[in-house]
Amino acid sequence: MSLQFETDAVRITDLSLSYSAVVEVPPEERTSPFARRTKKRLIHALNDVSFSVPAGKAVALIGGNGAGKSTLMKAMVGALKPSSGRIDLWGRAHLLAPGMGFNRKLSGRENVLLGGLAAGMSLAEVREKQEAIIEFADIGGFIDMPTTTYSSGMFGRLAFAVATHVDPEILLIDEALSAGDAGFRDRAVNRVQTMCAAARTIIVVSHSTALVAEMATEAIWLHQGSVRQQGEVNEVADAYLEFQTKGRETAQLDRTIADR
Amino acid sequence: MSQETSEASSTPPLISRRSTRTGLPPLRNYIRDAWTYRTFAVHWSRADVKARNFDTFFGRAWHVINPLLFGLIYFVFVGIVGGGGFSDMERLAMIVGNLYAWLFFSGVITTSVGAVQSGAGGILAMSSIPRVVLPMASAITAGNLFLRSLLAYVPIHFLGQRGAHIEMLWIPVLAVLTLMAGLGIALIMAVLNVYFRDVSRLLPHVLRLWMYLSPVIWDYTRVLDSAELARLNPLYPLMTAWTIAFGGTLDPNGPGIVSQVGWSFAWSAVSLVVGFLVFVSREDEFAVRN
Repeated sequence: MSLQFETDAVRITDLSLSYSAVVEVPPEERTSPFARRTKKRLIHALNDVSFSVPAGKAVALIGGNGAGKSTLMKAMVGALKPSSGRIDLWGRAHLLAPGMGFNRKLSGRENVLLGGLAAGMSLAEVREKQEAIIEFADIGGFIDMPTTTYSSGMFGRLAFAVATHVDPEILLIDEALSAGDAGFRDRAVNRVQTMCAAARTIIVVSHSTALVAEMATEAIWLHQGSVRQQGEVNEVADAYLEFQTKGRETAQLDRTIADR
Repeated sequence: MSQETSEASSTPPLISRRSTRTGLPPLRNYIRDAWTYRTFAVHWSRADVKARNFDTFFGRAWHVINPLLFGLIYFVFVGIVGGGGFSDMERLAMIVGNLYAWLFFSGVITTSVGAVQSGAGGILAMSSIPRVVLPMASAITAGNLFLRSLLAYVPIHFLGQRGAHIEMLWIPVLAVLTLMAGLGIALIMAVLNVYFRDVSRLLPHVLRLWMYLSPVIWDYTRVLDSAELARLNPLYPLMTAWTIAFGGTLDPNGPGIVSQVGWSFAWSAVSLVVGFLVFVSREDEFAVRN
């Protein structure tokens, strides 16, 4: 599908997403030695989130731990289904997550094949792009060693290389570049800018405000599962940092869950 | 970029995701989407087989050693418990051959349940790949290992002097039926395990009991007087067919391979269809509950 500028690539409308998780019952809550040691908790990860992203834009998704950023990314790519609301995509979405589809015992070269196939590329396409992917990842002789020997940065490089060669219309990057060194980050930023120029849409999650400022032109601040602010990236990032330094950004999880 | 819904896009979205569906998705689209990932399933399976025993001394030889040892252990077990001793090589060959077919069936189930439970390299949590691709890959893995185990069976077949039989031509058909039956059960067990993790703990015991109740280490002629009752066990006709396919019929007045293949097909088809429908109707929950 070809996208054009000035049209939406992503539109989120009143999206809410809740799921239950099994948690351990704290000892002080157990009424007897025979009481159940686990219980279910309902987690309201996203609450009435609405925004749209035009094609050809790079947008940063920022927020504290437990704000719902990763949940939103997974919902966009289809791994999680909304509890209510909708997600409309004008293009294929791919979530850049280190090691998706990888078998850790195999080499990086073999995992390029697996990762590309898992991302929806055909075998011919993967074989054609394999050398370009390996060159972009730039991990030297490690490419033929088991990925169990890789550092998190190397893993991220390889996953980024595979994902950007999948060439989706909408690329979602969830903390995949945090472990990369400065040299690779520069190349990754250039790659993202090239993709945006080709009307590709990028949504990037990172705790590094410096990185998101480099990559994105606009930002969305998620707080406790809702959109708190959105706008120009530096403006939103400054507001978020100010909020954090004032000490109010505690772990948000306990305010977004309720016992069943 | 605005918080209000943009009016800019007049073309309908390529993909639209809404709240969790209940029931079945459009099956034709689902099967077509799953089919596009068949190459991934094959390569994932190859990677799985390669990674098994990767860091062991004997490496890939374990794919042959493992079933061989399994067969020898049960031969000894039957020799002691059944009192038949250890000189009957034909019995050894029967037990080993049937065990390999059984391991194929149970391997499809345990590998599939494990793949769905583990999330298969983040696939469940980070993509919208049709989830049935994971059991598909597991079934391919089990089939791959079964073919390797047949290599171990060949010399045992000749040692047991089981000879060549026209019924051997049914082996490819039985392999397909075993895969269908195993995959159907696997799909149901994988769903149950998502909701009740205890299933993965119970499964090895259930499969072992099922094996003892099926003509795997004992021959099918022992229950000919109650064949209708025996046929309530879906694996009875299938394992009977395997016994006959490997070594010829044990009783000219007993069941023939054609009737056993017919019953096996019925059970396998029901298993696969029911399993597929149950799996596809619940797969939205996998990423959340994993």
